[in-house]
Amino acid sequence: MNFLFSNNDWLAILPEVFFVISINLILVYSVIYCTSPLFDFPLLINNVSWLSIQILFIVFVLNMNNYYCDIVVLNNFLIVDSFGNLIKSVILLSTICILLMSLRYNKFELINNFEFPILVMLTILGTLLLISSYDLIAMYLAIELQSFCSYILSAFKRNSEFSAEAGLKYFILGAFSSGFLLFGCSLIYGFTGATNYEQISLLLIGSNYSNLNNNGIVIGTIFILISFLFKISAAPFHLWSPDIYEGSPTTITAFFAIVPKIGLLTFFLRLFFDSLYTLFISWQDLLLIASIGSMIIGSFGAIWQIKLKRLLAFSAIGHVGYMLIGLCCCSVESVYGLIFYSIIYIFMSISSFSLLLIVRRNDNLKKLKYIEDLIVIAKTNPFIGFCFAITFFSIAGVPPLAGFFSKMFLFSSAISQSAYTLSVVGILTSVISCFYYLRIIQISYFEQNEEWISLKKPSKEISILISIITLILIVFFLHPSLLSILIHYSIVNLCF
Amino acid sequence: MLSLLITLPILGILSILIIPEYKVNLIKQVAFLSSLLTFICSLFLWVFFDNSTSKFQFIEYFDWMSLFNIHFFLGIDGISLFFVILSTFLVSICILNSWFSIKKHLKKYYVCFLLMDLFLIIVFSVLDIIVFYIFFESILIPMFLVIGVWGSRTRKLKAAYQFFLYTLIGSLFMLLAIFYMFFETGTTDFQILNTVLFSEDKELILWLAFFLSFSVKVPMVPVHIWLPEAHVEAPTSGSVILAGILLKMGTYGLLRFSLSLFPYASIYFTPLVYSLSAVAVIYTSLTTLRQVDLKKIIAYSSVAHMAFVTIGIFTFNLYGVEGSLLIMLSHGFISSALFLCIGVLYDRHHTRLIKYYSGLTQVMPLYSFFFVFFSMANLGFPGTSSFAGEFLTLIGSYQSNTFVTFLASTGMVLGAGYSLWLCNRVLFGPLTVNYIKQYTDITRREFAVLIPLLLCTVWMGVYPEIFLDTMHLTISNLLQKI
Repeated sequence: MNFLFSNNDWLAILPEVFFVISINLILVYSVIYCTSPLFDFPLLINNVSWLSIQILFIVFVLNMNNYYCDIVVLNNFLIVDSFGNLIKSVILLSTICILLMSLRYNKFELINNFEFPILVMLTILGTLLLISSYDLIAMYLAIELQSFCSYILSAFKRNSEFSAEAGLKYFILGAFSSGFLLFGCSLIYGFTGATNYEQISLLLIGSNYSNLNNNGIVIGTIFILISFLFKISAAPFHLWSPDIYEGSPTTITAFFAIVPKIGLLTFFLRLFFDSLYTLFISWQDLLLIASIGSMIIGSFGAIWQIKLKRLLAFSAIGHVGYMLIGLCCCSVESVYGLIFYSIIYIFMSISSFSLLLIVRRNDNLKKLKYIEDLIVIAKTNPFIGFCFAITFFSIAGVPPLAGFFSKMFLFSSAISQSAYTLSVVGILTSVISCFYYLRIIQISYFEQNEEWISLKKPSKEISILISIITLILIVFFLHPSLLSILIHYSIVNLCF
Repeated sequence: MLSLLITLPILGILSILIIPEYKVNLIKQVAFLSSLLTFICSLFLWVFFDNSTSKFQFIEYFDWMSLFNIHFFLGIDGISLFFVILSTFLVSICILNSWFSIKKHLKKYYVCFLLMDLFLIIVFSVLDIIVFYIFFESILIPMFLVIGVWGSRTRKLKAAYQFFLYTLIGSLFMLLAIFYMFFETGTTDFQILNTVLFSEDKELILWLAFFLSFSVKVPMVPVHIWLPEAHVEAPTSGSVILAGILLKMGTYGLLRFSLSLFPYASIYFTPLVYSLSAVAVIYTSLTTLRQVDLKKIIAYSSVAHMAFVTIGIFTFNLYGVEGSLLIMLSHGFISSALFLCIGVLYDRHHTRLIKYYSGLTQVMPLYSFFFVFFSMANLGFPGTSSFAGEFLTLIGSYQSNTFVTFLASTGMVLGAGYSLWLCNRVLFGPLTVNYIKQYTDITRREFAVLIPLLLCTVWMGVYPEIFLDTMHLTISNLLQKI
């Protein structure tokens, strides 16, 4: 029975296998249970959410179990290495945080469908497969799994027009970009005859870039790149993201801000550093433009926003710009900086979004929608105000908070590659973006409120989550090496 | 020793955090006690300081980011010793000063001040430029909050923003320069970098990047706009810290890093610094004359004094540099004292406009004594600390550039003009009874706040030798390199 899979393969992809089986089981369980008249059609959302959290945790443990392996499995279809495992564990943990955040949100926003956590888990499955994909076909299938679930999730609040609009927009534009991706893949396949990353890289390494008739490969690369830039909402292709951020349910917005992005970045690193690295002259400049554009649009676009979620959407565009610095410098340091940045960014996004979710008026149970609404926070709930301040100072990149270190490594890698324009633009835009991060602190701390609004007491899970993350952001500078060494190991694994 | 100095404010912060908010007195006492202990501990640094060497002393070393060869390396020499003492001293003065005037968010207020204490100690004693940068920037957070939360008027928002963004944009270029140096040399240790010589073109660019950051902090003239705003809007203690010690971070940086890391560029750019400083001295002194806000007057005079300091640093001789160090210290005492004096008036009557005050001598004699004394000290009266510093600086600059000395000394005359005129308007003349009905002289606490500053000023003016002795070897060693 060795012609298709060897036994080792199953061991290596055990987390994914377990994940698929448990998703199916939980789906069956909830479908049967929620349609049973015997139990009076119970609402399963809370139950399923907790079950999903447990499943995700088990997957996390299984993933840590074969953390230090480096193996290509299923006929060169998937790769399991410590780089992917690091990202996978980060994604799993952050998804657990997001599901914790969503528990109370679903209760207040009357999202009672049990499909919500299941769809989130399916997206995660897609992301996990995307991270370990080692073949263009595997990559495309994984990306589609992830995207389809995302489309549904963004339209999940059925009675909201904004949400429906967001879902539709995301679907149409996402399908468009998937088309680009597929076209790029098929061009590469057509000109090389290979879909496997390693085979493509072997073909390209041997060939001389100038005299090989490889325009098709370059065009295919650019198509893939455009699709990638679209999916992580980088500058020329960013226009969908504020609308979708605004329309989707807030937990899903948090989810979009964190999970797909880092998954896609990993896929990009793998594809472009493993197989298309030889062609980097053709894609580096495009990334450079995208990076500078995203930084500028992210910083200037957010200044005039009055809604919190739109502000965070633009700030996410800016952050993508910073991450692209790491990609377009093409060095070990820059990849290191990129992963470091992404992990700290995840911390900060979880913190900022859970702060948004935690604040809810006591009288009409509405969330705070506008930045101006934050005016009461520091006065009525000093601790939440404090967490807000720390989080946004950190996002702004003020030392000694964790956000500074993430920017520090990116800019230092840019300097080490002599990318001075990039680093100067990055520095200037980060100062500009400070302006609107500081505005949040200013509104919550400095301004006098005319009316007093009492806020609902935050739930226990989310408070613990926020406290832990705020603590991490503060004390991170005491021992930054801890994360550094972890990341370094996996980077070395990817790059050499 | 230094780690004890760092631990004390941290202990203070932690103990304040666990005290409940309603135990107001306990919070104040703990904050004051911990800042006082820090101050006493920093005085012991001076006691145990070895004058006979220019090496760094009290060295402490912690592994921090070994992967990147960045370490937490602390040490003190003759230059940084006094800045450490000055910062701990001023923080305890500030905490004592805001005993009654601060009423909201008390806990956070004291935590902010102890944090600044902590960061300042680290900034002035750290020997690794990345760690220096980190703490140089960190002070923005507590200071931003102090200006924004406890400031007096709605204009404070603009002031806080200007303070934050001006400083940030300057320092980020320094960060890039630090990265560049790191990738050239593979280390960020100051003592090792000191032995590295960069090529001339690179040195010029690196110097400019450092200068951009420090000149915002000093502030030199084209980028000084944030200072008057921030001073006016900050609470009294905030202004004291800002004028007394935060501005010195800029000049300390110029002296410690720009001068010794980039000697060629420092000499190359001396004309630039001279002209900016000369413009600053005259322009800000003249601007001071037409201000109507008490705090703005002191703020602009601070800019003028700091311009003296930069002239002194860039004379590259012993007189000039030692003089500029003396001016920095004396400005730390005098401008702080003047801000405290204005704070006394503001706490009572809640206005800082000169128009409303006149003839205070008749009702507040003790206050007037302090005000006149510190105004005199501000204009560089012989026998006060400022005189010693300005005298040495002018001697030093006379050796290197006569014309600049001439321009700088006109600043002294103008300084006498605005200081005396200020005294005249506020303290003498008929008592204004239309606006303010009730006057009270300074209380015992305010007296206790002002008297140490007065003693220091006189001590430094009468016998500056004791300060000069300590810094002498370090500075001559620094100048040998140039």
